[in-house]
Amino acid sequence: MRILVMTKPVPDPAANAERLGPDLRLDRAASPTVVNGNDEYGLEAALQLVEAHGGEVAILTMAPASGVETMRKALAMGALRGVLVSDDALAGADIPTTIRVLAAAAAIQEWDLLLGGLDTSDGAGGAVTAGVAARLGLPLLSAAAHIEPDEAARTVRVKRLSAKGYDLLEAPMPAVVSCTQALGTPRYPSLKGIMAARTRQITTLSLADLGADLAPADRQWPSRVLAVEPPPSRAAGRTVTGDPASQAREIADYLADRRII
Amino acid sequence: MFESFAHVPAYPLVFPIFWGAFAVFLLVVMRHARVWVEVTPTEPRALRNVARRVGGLIEYSLLQVRMFTEPNVAVMHFGLFLGSTILLIGNINFVTGGLPEFILGYPLNGAIWAFLLGLQNVMAVAALVATAYATYRRIVVKPKRLISTKVHYQTLAFIALVVSTEFVAQWFEAAAFGSINGAFVSNFFGGLLAGLGHDATNAAFVVLWWAHVFVLAAFLIFIPHNKHFHVYTTFVNVWLRKLAPRGQLPAMDLEREDATFGLRTLADLPWKDVFDGFTCTECGRCTSQCPANRTGKTLDPRALIMGIRRMSEAAEAGIDLVPNGPIVQETYGLVDSKPKQELLLAPIVGNAISYDSVWDCVTCGACVEACPVTIEHVDKIVGLRRNLVLEDSKFPNELTPAFRGMESVGNPWGQPPSARLDWTKGLPFEVRTAEAVKRAGQLDQLEVLYWVGCAAAFDDRNRRVARAVATCLDAAGISFAVLGQEETCSGDPARRMGNEYVFQMLATQNIETLNKYGIAERTIITACPHCFNTIGNEYSQLGGKFHIRHHSEFLAELVRKGRLRIGADGMPQRTITYHDSCYLARYNGVMEPPRDILGAIPGVKLVEMTDNHRQTMCCGGGGGRMWMDENRGNTRINAARTEQALATDAGTVATACPFCMVMLRDGIAEAGRGADTADPIISADISELLADALAPAPAIPDRDAPEGRRLTVL
Repeated sequence: MRILVMTKPVPDPAANAERLGPDLRLDRAASPTVVNGNDEYGLEAALQLVEAHGGEVAILTMAPASGVETMRKALAMGALRGVLVSDDALAGADIPTTIRVLAAAAAIQEWDLLLGGLDTSDGAGGAVTAGVAARLGLPLLSAAAHIEPDEAARTVRVKRLSAKGYDLLEAPMPAVVSCTQALGTPRYPSLKGIMAARTRQITTLSLADLGADLAPADRQWPSRVLAVEPPPSRAAGRTVTGDPASQAREIADYLADRRII
Repeated sequence: MFESFAHVPAYPLVFPIFWGAFAVFLLVVMRHARVWVEVTPTEPRALRNVARRVGGLIEYSLLQVRMFTEPNVAVMHFGLFLGSTILLIGNINFVTGGLPEFILGYPLNGAIWAFLLGLQNVMAVAALVATAYATYRRIVVKPKRLISTKVHYQTLAFIALVVSTEFVAQWFEAAAFGSINGAFVSNFFGGLLAGLGHDATNAAFVVLWWAHVFVLAAFLIFIPHNKHFHVYTTFVNVWLRKLAPRGQLPAMDLEREDATFGLRTLADLPWKDVFDGFTCTECGRCTSQCPANRTGKTLDPRALIMGIRRMSEAAEAGIDLVPNGPIVQETYGLVDSKPKQELLLAPIVGNAISYDSVWDCVTCGACVEACPVTIEHVDKIVGLRRNLVLEDSKFPNELTPAFRGMESVGNPWGQPPSARLDWTKGLPFEVRTAEAVKRAGQLDQLEVLYWVGCAAAFDDRNRRVARAVATCLDAAGISFAVLGQEETCSGDPARRMGNEYVFQMLATQNIETLNKYGIAERTIITACPHCFNTIGNEYSQLGGKFHIRHHSEFLAELVRKGRLRIGADGMPQRTITYHDSCYLARYNGVMEPPRDILGAIPGVKLVEMTDNHRQTMCCGGGGGRMWMDENRGNTRINAARTEQALATDAGTVATACPFCMVMLRDGIAEAGRGADTADPIISADISELLADALAPAPAIPDRDAPEGRRLTVL
């Protein structure tokens, strides 16, 4: 089974150093970069699937040329090869453009399952994986907590997170799955993995390789960032004091007032 | 010919019997060595630092200083050691046809030889008493650390038989043939036995004399098969012991693509590590001191060392005692002189130590400190971790966030680097970064760099320690700076958790940062013994040579020199017990400065816990255990150590390490004596106690270094 995982380099949320530059685009020098969390959960699920069923995992990234470094981290986990779509014309690309480009790049790869994060921790658009499925005209199994392919039947089943538990979905392969944290903790790459990743192939594609009409000329995106503001600082918390019984009553009253309990 | 043995019928038969046994002894040793030569070669150490190695031989092998933690056992062992050594003279005499007697019997009319015979009589008595006491300990006292199996009793029986047959034979010889010049004890008993008549005493002499030769021959063959082999191997092992700082783990080349990273199989072990197994006396001092073992975990350092020996001996399967000659091997393909590959490639984890035990280790070094024959346990355990982490990515799940945190944001708590200076907020003086000092062109006036460490930068409790350290430095008028956001984890936790890759990444980056500000020419101080050890002892492996001092040393010096003045009020009627950090006391010998600081505060009474100084007990936070759950065993290590602290009745537990601080604070809280209880025990860093006790300072006008102490610009 062949699985292609979309992996986006994002500023490491742990560094808490994400910021936009004067052009209101991500300042990539400000923060260390990691593979987007939900993409990484998908990658882990993909690696476990090929370990169980055989096959190979490849990764697909749209990023500046420096994205290669982050892709090596994904390769170190066990993906065998990478495809990087990188083009100056894509700097600051909006969501529809990203969807068109990634769909075009995915369309020329061979795979049974295409995995991507439910959303990304920097842009938080939450539309790309779904958009790629729509663009490719393939079924989308969203918010996956568990992925189980049936190779003989050429189908895949996904447990989809819902407000009340799981929905069990099934679709024929090839299919697109959007991934969540519920898939499980990503593995920590071994040094052998890191060393092997150094020599694994990353194919770089330009916009010309995919079709120049995918992105608007002169980088004029229909939507633009106008301003950036830090969130308002949080108000001080309320401290409950007194003997345990009255503390408990106060907390219970507070929650009941807000219809939480 | 053989005049000395004129009374012994068929004396020349001694030669085939003893030397035949000696040949078997050598063949057995050679068979052991056929495995040793197939494992990883040790970097050549034998001929380096000869003076220190000779010193070690005297200290550990001859004076046996490590034995004196239990003086009665030390004396007992001396009885056996000196007994065997002195009696060796007589035994050599027996098996060489009287060569020593021939040489030593001439000068001074035989007085030297007579003296030696007398001495041998004394030592025979000493050895027999020591053997009796050793047997008594095994059978009656049964110290917890000893394992007593058949082989241990066989060893004692052999010693008793070898000594007594020789000794008593001499009594009968004296009885049958008259006094022997010098052998005064035997002459005395000979006098008593003479009444039995010549024939009887002569017969007894002959029987015992020959019995002695046979027992001696059998003992010689017995020795290399078990722990008694240590009587020979100890000397070699002590000679070859690691002379690098105890806190310096073996260097590792991560660029070698073909290498096995860390230790996986018997063949991966450097031969000295295998040899450790053949030196082990199974005395159990290591295990009895191991904090993990003491709290009911499965980690058993002795079992690891014995297990390595067992694996090495198992790898001898199929090697004949006298292997075929080269011609036979070549002609018939009968190679029986090399260990089988599959036995050399047997994994250590699962055979000599369990997977869980590998992770139970706090790397506190109590085992290494306790071992009388200088076996190195910790380096092996970290070697096993290296293999598990670097090759298999197998480690407790809790470590993943710590590894990722160190890798991406430079600290095991995964905190943003931008928060590194939060601890300075609200201090009444400015804490400058090295970068700011450099920008101001004042690097030449910088006295020290304060290496804060991640714990003091991010942990709420330890931030107060950082403030206390800075307060003391400021009060003493020291010109200091910190690295701020440029500082990352020293790499100690990564290294001890086996993640050498992350360690080298962090260390390389820190060395670069420190060199950028010319810190190699200055002094670094830190309140973290782990950073202290790693920067001071390990960065040199990556080309970083720095002068680093622990804050206890530095502050003690400031107090001694009067640069820090302690108020006259002091801390009236304060009883404090000081907890030695492993990486400070055991690994780096810093034990008195923290006590000097506390002792300089008027009114403070210092009391010691059961385990103190070099024999300190770990808090449970070393070796990366700070980031692992502790749910094996019957109690937590910090709880066991807290118990010792509570037993002193001290109102304050002083620490000098951020991990110890957290571990003991939690231990105290769990024991129901936390800060919010009615009868709290205070846990505080020595710098906090010192800062509290400082005399209200006259305003210090200028924090720059006084003239004459300025350092050169780089």
